[in-house]
Formats: sequence, structure tokens, C-alpha cells
Amino acid sequence: MNLITSSIGQGLLWALLGIALFLTFRILNFADMTVEGTFPLGAAITVTAITKGVSPLVATLLGFLGGAAGGLITGLLYTKGKIPILLAGILVMTGCLSVNLRIMGGSNVSLLGQKTFFSAKIFQSLPRYFDSVLIGGGTIILITILIALFLETDLGQAFIVTGDNQMMARSLGINTDNMTILGLSLSNGLVGLAGALIAQSNGYADANMGIGIIVIALASIIIGEVVFGYLTLNQRLIAVILGSIIYRFVLLIVLQLGFSTNDLNLISAIILAVCLMLPTLRHALKLDGILRKGVSQYGK
Amino acid sequence: MKRMLAFISAILLFLGVDLVVAPKAASQTNQTAPKTEVVHVGILQMMTHPALDQIHQGVVAGLKEEGLTTGKNLKIDFLNAQGDQSNLKTMSQQLANKDSLLVGIATPAAQALANSAPKTTPIILAGISTPATSGLVKSEAHPGGNITGTSGLNPVTKQFELMHAVMPHAKKIGIIYTSSDHGGQTNAHAFARVVKQAGLIPKLYTISNTNDLQQVASQMVSQVDMVYAPQDNGVASAMKTLVNVANNVNIPVFPCAETMVPDGGLASYVISQKEMGRVAGVMAAKVLRGKNPATYPVATVKSGYYMINKKEMRKLHIKIPAAIMRAASQHGKVIK
Repeated sequence: MNLITSSIGQGLLWALLGIALFLTFRILNFADMTVEGTFPLGAAITVTAITKGVSPLVATLLGFLGGAAGGLITGLLYTKGKIPILLAGILVMTGCLSVNLRIMGGSNVSLLGQKTFFSAKIFQSLPRYFDSVLIGGGTIILITILIALFLETDLGQAFIVTGDNQMMARSLGINTDNMTILGLSLSNGLVGLAGALIAQSNGYADANMGIGIIVIALASIIIGEVVFGYLTLNQRLIAVILGSIIYRFVLLIVLQLGFSTNDLNLISAIILAVCLMLPTLRHALKLDGILRKGVSQYGK
Repeated sequence: MKRMLAFISAILLFLGVDLVVAPKAASQTNQTAPKTEVVHVGILQMMTHPALDQIHQGVVAGLKEEGLTTGKNLKIDFLNAQGDQSNLKTMSQQLANKDSLLVGIATPAAQALANSAPKTTPIILAGISTPATSGLVKSEAHPGGNITGTSGLNPVTKQFELMHAVMPHAKKIGIIYTSSDHGGQTNAHAFARVVKQAGLIPKLYTISNTNDLQQVASQMVSQVDMVYAPQDNGVASAMKTLVNVANNVNIPVFPCAETMVPDGGLASYVISQKEMGRVAGVMAAKVLRGKNPATYPVATVKSGYYMINKKEMRKLHIKIPAAIMRAASQHGKVIK
């Protein structure tokens, strides 16, 4: 029981990362590597600020701004510097490592004994792991609503068009460079926010905590899409959140089944690969037909 | 859309039920110190790495020494995060949920455990270099909470004395570590202080990952008389590269960990990682029998032994003082 709640809580916290990457990966249509740098950047800024006595709320906002600054730099490198997006992201990601070490003054800063969102009094009276469910759930609902509202505005529509078709966007008088910079800043700001919250949940920030997180974000997006099928834009945002929770369930099952943790990375890679191939497999094996007619009927 | 609503309702329903059914966090009771039944111990290791693996073996040996054997009265749940910190939280919660005592190997693993476990579950640290500055215990003499264990501070003074005895005319000592490795950084700076106090010149070099090692090390060996390799995961795993670069210009490398001497280090005074794990295992057993971690001081394993690599001695034409050679062949290890 407890562990399922814990997985839901973790899923909700990590969903922020999925939503952030959704903006660049799905809407703007490119893979942004910056996140592996801005995630620990957000964590580093927040944790350092908290240990210096800044309130958790302000510290978390600083984490968001730090991430956004990282995204801004990638955006400028890509649009003004004409550096390919993959490379621009990797450059900023690499640079972030040194910045993070400077900010933290070392490679690991602990939060034990400090005031964080998770140490608030109300959570002491709740069952275990409900702290991450409430904080993760509250944040993700708020952020998703804000993003959904933003995408409805003129600016948001222009942002979507930029991702769909740059040429058309330009012909409509949209400054696509500015849209890309905006998207990267916003997305990486959210990544920084995710780093800030997850560092508080884990109780520390570490220079190496960004390794491999892009896989987690992609997993939430892809699992959400595969499991929930054809949806409107707003529903797709929710599907990402649910995808993130499902990914945590899968990890929990793998751990509970007693697989060697040495194989964990391989298992998550296989799960992702299967999810990515599912539309093709479905077509090739005519699974759609089977599902529509019902298995028993097909058997006859 | 239907599927999505169903999934959301299932989750909300589950959370609602759990909220009502689950015991409140504050009123959770201590489940430690079972008398005769099988004791469940959870071990969380940060990554697969020779030194960490040896600590792990030591913990198991220490528990066994105190009469806790797997298969009889002990069940060990072992998880290894493979260096992926995003999994640490899920893993530590998993362990915290079913085990009555937790063992953390390497700082992030211990921090994740400390954060996930209820304050009543004892946590034993195995080989964490600075438990107090990592925020895990209040102070090493009086841990003050549910956490205690062994600390693995490197015997830097002893190591420096050895280097000075072997190379009395060397003035500049190169120290290379990974900038993002907590242990390496702490160790390197502690060693640099000792070098400075002795009136010699420490020269610090950092790499961001092992790919930089070749280049940074080449730069380093042109500016120093000998090299010190601290307790650093990156440098340890690329020890052979470092040794090649240094030996090309006839400079010896003095490492600090057991595994790095056979890899081409000349000589070292090392603390046994396995011993550190063993002491942690013994402490774990005592805590399970009722000893209070809050008043159980962190044990610093200080005594070590000399390790000498004769192959390197021949290659570099370096003589090691007879007294140290004798000590190594009697109580330590000489690699032929």
C-alpha cells in the first residue's frame, strides 16, 4: 500500500519534468539536452539558498529562475549563434556542471535538518508519503493549468505554430526566434523547478543528479501517449502526468519482482523501446482489429 | 479519454483509501529489535565500484560475526542505484518500508535513506567520508538521531609521510580529482593542507570526467615531482591512464585506496574498505540488539597497512626505505 502511494508521489513530482520537456520535445519539436544541466542547477540554487537561510518558497522560485536562465542561453546559442540545437543544449548542460559546483561550493549539499516544503507541520499528521503526493500534485495541477491557459493566448498559439511549421509561422509575422527562446526558457525554468522540488524531497542536491533524467521525462511523455491514445492538447498534458506515474509503477514492479538492480537501466530502456514501437507493432500485428472486434469474436 | 478518467479515479480512490487506512506518520511505532525471528536489513549502495563492493562484503561479514547469518536469522535486501540518483528515492522508500535497519553505502545513498526512513528506523553509514558535514549526524561523537556508522576518512598524514620518505627531494606534489566527486574533493583538499603544512607545494588539478584525465594528467606531470591520487571514483576507475602518463616521465603515483595499488600505484598506506564495512556490520548488529544510535559514536577506522607495488619500483628505479618494506611484508601487502 505504502509503496504505491510513494510511487504516485514520486510520479507527480517527476511529472513536472515530463511537462517541461513536452513543451520543447512535442510542441517545438526538438530534443533539448539542456535539461540534464538545468535540473541539478535548480536543485543547487534552491538547496544552497535554503542552507543560507532563505525561505523554501523563495529558494524554489530562485531555482525556477536559474533553470530559465540556462534555457535562455541555449535559446540564444541556437537562434542567434546558429549552433545546432542538440549541440547548444549539450554545451549549456556541460557548462552547468561547473556552475553548479561553484554555487554549491562542492559536489553535494545536504538539506537534513533544514526547513523545506516537505518538513512543514501539516505533513507530520498525514500518513507517510502523502507529503510528496500533496506537494507534487498541487504543483503539477497549478503548472498544468497555467500552461494550458498560456497555450490558449495569442502568444501561446504563436508558440504552437512555430513548432508546427516555422515557414508558415514566419509568413504570419511571428518572430520564431523569440518563440524558440521563450519556449526553451519556460521549459528549462520548469526543469529547474522540478530539480528544486526533487532536491527537497530527496534531502540533498548533488552535482551528478542530472544524469539520465532526460530518459525519465521522455518516458512519461511516450508512455502517456501510448496508454491514453488520441487526445486534445490539454488532455495530452494530463496524459504526461499519468505517464510519469505509470513509469514509477513500472519501476516499482520491477523492484518488487526482485530483478537485480544492475539490470534496471536495461529494463527501462526496453520498456521505452516497446512503447515507442507500439504504434508500428499495432499496425503490423493488426492488433487494432483484434481489439475492436473483441478477442472472442476474432477467435471464431 | 475514458481510459484517462478511469485511471485518475482509480488513483484518487486509492489515495483516499490509503489516507484513511494507513497509520498516521507521527504515531508509527518502532519495529526494531526483534528477538528470535528473522531480521530484515536493507542495504542501499550508490553504484558498482570496487571500493563500495568491498564495503558491502564487509557489512555482511560484520553482521555474520555478530551471529546474524543470511538464510538463518537474517534477510538482506540489497539494492544498487547504479549511479542513477533518480532511482535512489524510490529504492530507499522501498527498503525503509520493509526493513528494520538500513545500511547506506556512499553519501547520496545514505542521504536518501535518511530522508525516506521514519525517524525510528536506525540507519548505519558504511564508509561515508564526512558524516557531519554531509548533514547525516549532528556530530561524529554524538550522532543525536537514528543514524550512526563508520566514517572512512583517509589517513592523509600517514600517506604524506610515506611519500616524503620514498621521495625526500620532491618539492611539488600533483593532486588530481574529479570536480563533481564529493569524496575525491574532500580527500584532495585534506591532503593538500598536510602537504602545505610540511612546507612543500601541493598543486591541485581537476577533471570533469575520466575523458579529461589523459590531457589534464599530461599537463600535471610536466609541472610536479610526484602524483597523489585521492579516493575518487573517477580517478580510481581510470587509474591505469594516470599511471601511464606519469610513468612516461618517470614520476610515481601514490594512490590512497587498496584497489589503486595493483592498478599501478607505487605504494600507499591504506585503510581496508572491507574492514570499514565490517565495523559497520558489527555496529548494525549491536543497534539491532537495542543499542541507541543517538549515543553510539561514529567509528572512524584509523588503522591501516602499507601496500607496495614492486613492479612499479623496478620500472621507476625507486627504492623504498627498508623499514617501510619490512612493515609492508609483515602486516601489509607487497605486490610482486
